[in-house]
Amino acid sequence: MADLALKVSGLSKSYGNKVVLDNLSFTASMNDFSVICGKPGNGKSVLVRTIMGLEPVDAGQIIVRGQDVAKASAGDRNIGYVPQSFALYPHFSVQENIEYPLVLSKASATTRKESLERVSELLRIKDLLGKKPEQLSGGQKQRVAIARGLAKATDVYVLDDPLVGLDFKLRERLIDDLRKTQEELKVSFVYMTSDPLEALSLAKTIMILAHGQIVQQDSLDVVYDSPNSIASMNSLGFPEANILKAELAGSTLSTILGKIKVQTESTASSIVAGIRPEGFIVGKDANSFSCKVSLMENLGSEFAVYFTLNDIDLVTVVSRTDTQALSKLQAASVDISVKPEAVVLFDANSGKRIGQGVSHV
Amino acid sequence: MYDIKLQGITKKFEAFTAVNDINFTIAKSSVTVLLGPSGCGKTTLMRMIAGLESPTQGRIFFGEHDVTDVPTRRRNIGMVFQYPVIYRGTSVRKNLELPLLSEKLSKAEMDKRIDEVAEILDLQDVLKRQVEELDNGTRQKIAVGREVARQPRIILFDEPITNIDLTSKLELKRSMKELFGRLQQTIVYVTHDQTEAMTLADQIALMQDGVITQCDTPKEIYDKPNSQFAGWFLGNPGMNFVSPQFISVSGSKVTSPLFSQTIELGGKAASAETFGVRAEGISVSTTEIKGAVQAKVTRKSIGAGGQYLLDLAVGSLLVKARVSHSVGRDAVGTVWTTIESENITFFDKSGKTI
Repeated sequence: MADLALKVSGLSKSYGNKVVLDNLSFTASMNDFSVICGKPGNGKSVLVRTIMGLEPVDAGQIIVRGQDVAKASAGDRNIGYVPQSFALYPHFSVQENIEYPLVLSKASATTRKESLERVSELLRIKDLLGKKPEQLSGGQKQRVAIARGLAKATDVYVLDDPLVGLDFKLRERLIDDLRKTQEELKVSFVYMTSDPLEALSLAKTIMILAHGQIVQQDSLDVVYDSPNSIASMNSLGFPEANILKAELAGSTLSTILGKIKVQTESTASSIVAGIRPEGFIVGKDANSFSCKVSLMENLGSEFAVYFTLNDIDLVTVVSRTDTQALSKLQAASVDISVKPEAVVLFDANSGKRIGQGVSHV
Repeated sequence: MYDIKLQGITKKFEAFTAVNDINFTIAKSSVTVLLGPSGCGKTTLMRMIAGLESPTQGRIFFGEHDVTDVPTRRRNIGMVFQYPVIYRGTSVRKNLELPLLSEKLSKAEMDKRIDEVAEILDLQDVLKRQVEELDNGTRQKIAVGREVARQPRIILFDEPITNIDLTSKLELKRSMKELFGRLQQTIVYVTHDQTEAMTLADQIALMQDGVITQCDTPKEIYDKPNSQFAGWFLGNPGMNFVSPQFISVSGSKVTSPLFSQTIELGGKAASAETFGVRAEGISVSTTEIKGAVQAKVTRKSIGAGGQYLLDLAVGSLLVKARVSHSVGRDAVGTVWTTIESENITFFDKSGKTI
């Protein structure tokens, strides 16, 4: 495909007996914002380093614009890179910091000037160019670091969790900046994060990284609505999905939330049920259980409501406009039921999706 | 218990004014969160309450007592910092007990207090463990428990959750909420995290550039910001602000391309410079509604609880709307929006709510 920016296939990397990347494959398209999302410790950093050429691979291809660069040196790959830690050179001005990688790669003065103008416009740092890093706020430093990574005029960029550790409001702004930047440049962004809200805010295409593999790749809506595995459901979503022990007898699934009829072909011996926080209804009905609320986290437009049923911790989300539910939640115990269609079945051993709830029994 | 009165408190560091003439009372037995972006003066203000900094001007009262010149150790306050302060090489119980030894309490009273805080903070099972064996979240609970067990009249918390890992964070928030509900002490809590503030506070004192710009309950400050700054700072994302070019005032009436109706503002209309609306304050329909405003969906993303955040364009006016998962999934191309007038906040030229 002509519009493929990056194709990684069969990538493997081990350290001694420890397999970190296990025959990992994915594709990233031109003019797409692809987010690779996975829990910490899933091989994210190693994946970045192998793509960038900072770490040799054991096996596999890394095809950039149709050419396998798996054995090429880092400098020959022509991939833009925004690393996680954003150490700026303290004795350089902002402008010198941004230009430095271009100087190293022997870019002409004209190219440097063009790049500088482009990125400083995009990231709104024009008035900072003469300053030293110590004169900048945390958010400004981060913007300069991102600008430095994007200054390289190329069409594929890898961004390694560049917003980690920044406070709320800064992230909100930078998320908008990054999306706008990608759209204006019409290039391929491959963005790594372990923060589900960041992934949900940024991605057009999502890839779920788990156990050294990309276990699912699709558009944001599809992965969110139809996770193919426990890892997919768990990694993408905020608050994190509820995962419950379950038992299957024919087409009837039993959990602490009662019995529901499910659609499945599986005869798996060990089963778990996944329920996103929005998969509950607050209020008494024929299928509700009396639960105890342990914390109402005020997220602004909604509350994350943490509650327990038979000592099992669960979480749901209630919108601040749902005054009826909110008033019920003031009581010591509250009746909550699950929406059957929100229940997803997984094979506990393979982690794969095997079915979905249909109705209460 | 004491209330805390701040009278004309100013703190200058050479040419820089960190805290600028604050007059403020923190009600006794309440949880007050000082919230604001970095550099707003919240930590400096707390350090002055603690006696770790002296104000350049102004007086601090605990109840009727002027404590401005009283050293920290004689102010009868507890303090919890960003990084847990614990005594290494000893057990959790010993950590909780040590500060009580100087209070000359009976053994029974000491044990009672320790067991009480251990229960609230869910530390019963680790009381005999060495503190080195425990994670940062548990260590912070120990630091909290130790201050609480001493029963000072005022407890100050300086970003106690900021440096705790994600999983322990939630647990710690839960413990704090439970603790604050049971304590009679006056609590002052500093954070830059709005979720933490809105979850834990009885009242939020929002700070910017060395002054408290608004002090209200979490609900009030979120629903009725008194300035653009408050509207922006609270909420994720913050309020949408519509620039003056998209608002026109004629007599007492205000119109905008974003409004399906004219809004009657009375005498205040003349000073209306701009307005704000929260993302969830914009209703979106994927089927045509007569009289509603047509908008184009330019981008979509998902937020907490699966709700969609839509970037909408009404001509060249851009806003974000938060909608349910099902509406968001179906929203493609043109949608129809309406805004209830109670969801619109008008601001004057200086950014103040009118």
